[in-house]
Amino acid sequence: MQKILVANRGEIALRIMRTIRKMGIKSVAVYSEADRHSPHVLFADEAVYLGAAPSSQSYLNGDKVIAYCKELGVDGIHPGYGFLSENAEFAKKVEEAGINFIGPGPEAMKIMGSKLAAKESVKKYNVPMVPGIDKAIDDVNLAIQVADKIGYPVLIKASAGGGGKGMRVVEKADDMQEQMERAISEAKSSFGDGSVFIEKYVSSPRHIEIQILADKFGNTVHLFERECSIQRRHQKVVEESPSAIVTPEMRKRMGEAAVMVAKSCNYTSTGTVEFLVDDKLNFYFLEMNTRLQVEHPVTEMITGLDLVEQQIRIARGEKLSFTQDDLSIKGHAIELRVYAEDPLNNFLPSIGTLTTYVKPAGEGIRVDDGYEEGMTIPIYYDPMIAKLVTHGKDRREAVQKMIGAIKNYKIEGLTTTMPFGIFVFEHEAFLSGRFDTHFVKNYYTPEKIKEKQKDNAEIAAIVAIKYWQERKKMLSPVEHKSTSWKRRLAH
Amino acid sequence: MPENNKTYMVKANEFVFSFGQEEIDKADMVKKNEEEFNLIRNNRSVNAKLLNADITGKLLTVEVDGENYDLVIKDELDQMLDKMGFSTVSSKHIKEIKAPMPGLVLEVAVKEGQEVKEGDKILILEAMKMENSITIHTGATIKRIAVSSGQAVDKGQVLVELE
Repeated sequence: MQKILVANRGEIALRIMRTIRKMGIKSVAVYSEADRHSPHVLFADEAVYLGAAPSSQSYLNGDKVIAYCKELGVDGIHPGYGFLSENAEFAKKVEEAGINFIGPGPEAMKIMGSKLAAKESVKKYNVPMVPGIDKAIDDVNLAIQVADKIGYPVLIKASAGGGGKGMRVVEKADDMQEQMERAISEAKSSFGDGSVFIEKYVSSPRHIEIQILADKFGNTVHLFERECSIQRRHQKVVEESPSAIVTPEMRKRMGEAAVMVAKSCNYTSTGTVEFLVDDKLNFYFLEMNTRLQVEHPVTEMITGLDLVEQQIRIARGEKLSFTQDDLSIKGHAIELRVYAEDPLNNFLPSIGTLTTYVKPAGEGIRVDDGYEEGMTIPIYYDPMIAKLVTHGKDRREAVQKMIGAIKNYKIEGLTTTMPFGIFVFEHEAFLSGRFDTHFVKNYYTPEKIKEKQKDNAEIAAIVAIKYWQERKKMLSPVEHKSTSWKRRLAH
Repeated sequence: MPENNKTYMVKANEFVFSFGQEEIDKADMVKKNEEEFNLIRNNRSVNAKLLNADITGKLLTVEVDGENYDLVIKDELDQMLDKMGFSTVSSKHIKEIKAPMPGLVLEVAVKEGQEVKEGDKILILEAMKMENSITIHTGATIKRIAVSSGQAVDKGQVLVELE
């Protein structure tokens, strides 16, 4: 492979290009009208314009991407995550155009891309699954019947979904209609496929996933778990590896199940098998993500592997250079997704300009980002600014490093999820490892962050008054009449 | 007026505090250097850094625990001036609904002249690929719809006017 086009934007495009350059390969960036100034465009060897800012007119235009590849002599496409990354049609067209798609084959992608087809594929391998309906529904009455049978609350999920989009919890029959409409509409606009299905909503669930790596010679290994239970709006904010609750024995069983899921669809490249874990540590297969995951850096930090490099090597037909027995967990890694969101206002997007932007640095601190000071976060895409990752010899050290790194990460001009991060990393439930995906619902209120900010604001206020009074004293001795009088009397 | 009866009002970001001179005098603060201070308050040892101060010394920026606080100090004279020039008019009537975030208007669910009640859906705003129902928290009549579906709106932009 001589030249790779990265069909993505932001931090992930930049992160992929860094590995491409390290491997001595040329990189091609794509960009929309909103991203001309983005670091990924400035970093690349070549860059091509895709279209207007909305992703439907730019980053989702697969035909245009392929046409550019032919024009520029590109022999590999890396899709990153989101956008075209799990579009089997696109992957097929890429292959047909004689270009290497850096990811799984279109068949595996198609099976795992549909949560319903995935359940079907995995069935014969005895991998445990959550109760629910295994076909698409759009009939509200049927949905209510199914929900009555498996019991509320239920989860409406987009068959083509991912990242929590098109997913809705329904607590009671009355809400079914509105929630189904929203879920179907979101699924259509986000994935171009409106089919949804219903699953039992497991109470007190943890979300733990296994990273797998498979070459084109039938060798499949797992790179251990990632604990992704700290979420808001069903989307991950904090991830770590290893999980505080997974035992070596459970890790082995989950890893084997994940490898089985991958083998069931002849999977190649990197992939992630997601499991729900209940309060009794039973695990259930949820879905497989057929892409490089947002949170892949935590796995990289505990294994020492560059997953993008592995993807490229696998795509160009190399065998894995290690076996399962060669792999081990080194230390502990934690990731915080720094989103342009206001944790004091329901995590609503807080879009604006990065008037101050200074990253933390140091041993065991990694920042994957796609912005620079002065840039504006566009409203058209995911509001993630950066991923802040720390690595320590154990969990406690990784957490401490993270708290320090957050305090040294200076972002002004908009609010971010960082104060929420501090809240999590100082919370007893997180530190003890006893938490589930309801962490936010169970423990988090904006008032707790507010209280702390108020304490700190009060300290700032006292410092300010003291400073001002001291300065006033120095600048205007005239005000201190009493001393002058004393002095006069002493004479 | 004796110094120790003075009160100061300080605005720190969105917070407002009021201190008497005595409390300020009692606060246990030491200076590490020209910009760095340490304050022990409620047994907490906190470091603060002065990032900025204007010529009057009343507008400052102080960093505490990694966060910056913009401060405005008001002594008694400032507070008196504020009182004279400031009057508050408060109205419980909501006159308009503004966009809580920037986004794209997907669907407007009401018509001009329509009567709405608390909890009714006014429109759907899409931001970051999430659809958000904007509902009303009071009964009202829709006077004017200021946006149309497909339109991009900024945070704080008026979506509908009410009466």
